Amino acid sequence: MENKFNALIFSLLIIFLFPFAIFAQSENSKWGKADYSYQMPDKFEHRDYNFKEKNPGRFILKSFLNAYWYFISDVDGDNCSFDPTCSHFFLLSVKETNIVQGSLMFFDRFTRDMDIFGKINRYPFSSNGHYYDPPSLYMLKKDSIKYIPPSIIVKNE
Amino acid sequence: MNKILFLLIIFSTISFSQESNSAKSLNLFSPQNIKKFADYLFCQHDYIRASIEYEDFLKSGYNDTAAFKVGMANLEMGNFSIASKKFSNISKISVFYNISKLEYLRANFRTGNFNYYRNLYESENLNRDYKYFFEARELYNFSYLFSDITLPQKKNFLSSFTKEEQPRLNQFYDWKINPPYKNPVTAALLSTVIPGLGKIYTQNYSDGIFAFITVGLLGYLAYSDFHANHNFRGWLFSALGAGFYGGNIYGSAASAQIYNAKISFQFFNDLKNYLEDHNYFVPLINFCK
Amino acid sequence: MKSIFFILIFFAIGPEIFSQGVLEKQFNYAKKLYNEENYFDSITEFKRLLFFDSTGKYKYTADNYIGDAYKAGSKFSNAIIYYTLAEINAQNFNDLFKAKINIIRVNILRRTTNRALQLLDSLNNDRRFLSEKKEIYYWKGWTYIFADEWHKASETFALTDSNKTLQELCEKVDKEKYSVIFAQIISHFIPGSGQFYTGNYLSGILSLAWNGLWGYLAVKAFIDNRIFDGFMITNFLWLRFYNGNLQNSKNFTEEKNLKIVNKALKYLQYDYVGAKP
Repeated sequence: MENKFNALIFSLLIIFLFPFAIFAQSENSKWGKADYSYQMPDKFEHRDYNFKEKNPGRFILKSFLNAYWYFISDVDGDNCSFDPTCSHFFLLSVKETNIVQGSLMFFDRFTRDMDIFGKINRYPFSSNGHYYDPPSLYMLKKDSIKYIPPSIIVKNE
Repeated sequence: MNKILFLLIIFSTISFSQESNSAKSLNLFSPQNIKKFADYLFCQHDYIRASIEYEDFLKSGYNDTAAFKVGMANLEMGNFSIASKKFSNISKISVFYNISKLEYLRANFRTGNFNYYRNLYESENLNRDYKYFFEARELYNFSYLFSDITLPQKKNFLSSFTKEEQPRLNQFYDWKINPPYKNPVTAALLSTVIPGLGKIYTQNYSDGIFAFITVGLLGYLAYSDFHANHNFRGWLFSALGAGFYGGNIYGSAASAQIYNAKISFQFFNDLKNYLEDHNYFVPLINFCK
Repeated sequence: MKSIFFILIFFAIGPEIFSQGVLEKQFNYAKKLYNEENYFDSITEFKRLLFFDSTGKYKYTADNYIGDAYKAGSKFSNAIIYYTLAEINAQNFNDLFKAKINIIRVNILRRTTNRALQLLDSLNNDRRFLSEKKEIYYWKGWTYIFADEWHKASETFALTDSNKTLQELCEKVDKEKYSVIFAQIISHFIPGSGQFYTGNYLSGILSLAWNGLWGYLAVKAFIDNRIFDGFMITNFLWLRFYNGNLQNSKNFTEEKNLKIVNKALKYLQYDYVGAKP
């Protein structure tokens, strides 16, 4: 009776083991002891309020943005469906290009933010659940465009 | 007594020889046992360990099967450069020489450096006497689809593939010659005439509609405020309207570039899927039947 | 005659004794590599042992060690595979129980706590392990810790009788944690109160101020019969800041709780002396 029971357990374990084999972690190189932590990951976003801008124009822009973030954006909640947020996108656009091009990129981003229907078929996801939409796609430089298909989850650096 | 002694001598000879055989098998790190273990690991798909064991085995003397399997293990792990080096070291007199040459070319193809790969292929000077000439030539011509250089003549290109494959390769070839890109300047001009039209041209339909509504609404609000002598509001909405209008023209040009990147991405994906679906990289030898 | 008989027996089984000696040497070598934290190589040597061990004498032990080594390298799926093999090859209930507990511990570490609880429940209902209730409850407590259910963890540790440290720690964490539901409820009635509850006073004041301002302007617009203005202020400004207040009350509470929980988890990982996942 026990032998039959053990045989049943054995066969059930094999059935359950097979999918584990499919999902086993592949070893492609020698590895050592891992430093895993019990602690839960910090999923909360923290604003970068620094004033480290050498350019006086950018310093003024960053000051305005810091004030906007602190007094308005951090209080009215998470309204932007994108990552980076529209205000952060504006800052990065101006940094990568100039104030005029950065402003045009911002207006275009704002319009795209208002599109409530087309986003899911167009943008990949960021790890925080927002749509991933970096300024590098919109600088009119073909080489800086790294296309990522929609519904893929991008691991942020 | 003599009979017993005779039996004893026979029995001890047999058991000693068994012992000497099992004494050999008792050394887990003897070359034969390392190879047996490596073969087992290879068939268990534990390629990194199999590769290490085969390298250990090869220290005791060259063995072409083991050397070939090191190359295959590295291929399976995605170490294409290392695999390529291993295959290139297979001796010319080995039974694996021809297949190693093919795997060497395949490994170089899979590194993604297609110009370098084509140079290697051309330097091999393969002819129809080579056992895997057709497989190698197919891959060579296929590599042109991944690069931005002049394609060979269509007739020559298609002739390296089988009749079943030719229709699909014909489609790939035509796409490569004349990709259905959108022109950023056209997109920008269309949005200049009608806000949002450039986005519709690049197939961002809902984007285009929202852009049209936004610019239209702001324009209307500016007009009605000026009409009602609310000059501050009028200028505010005009400025916002101009901003969104300019942003839409810029964004339409950018969306054309993104559209082109998208269809290129999809094309390369289709190429990769085709290679996988048609078993271009499936190992030709199954060591683990 | 007798002496000849014994000599013959010796030649017959001698090679077998020698090979067992070699396997034991291999086992000790693999174990030495494991103890030196050379986990990758120890797995190779245990696999070599298993390959040459035709009798299966080392199956359970080697599979267990391989599972331990994969776990140490945080290759949890592989660890579970080998612990499952150890479970299949267990020779007695004690070994079987140990293998099952190892699987549960890996599930705890990779936070697949529902699976761990399922396995613990099946162990609890298994009559073969009636004498192991305390250990089952002990790991159940750990599962609840990793599932962030500190109250249940505390109750479960209480059933083990012996583990006061863990029971008290879980009770303390549970008491220190802020209530997300409470923060959200009070924020519905008084915008900014949820932020005050978690000690984010400046954010609370700003939230209260903005809600106050837009609320006043919206009500004034409706009273003055400027319905469109009132609607626009309510929808695009007042509601925005009101929802922001609710979001922040939830986020700040969760963030504060994360800090409390991580402090406890850090203690458990580095300072607590006792069996850990």
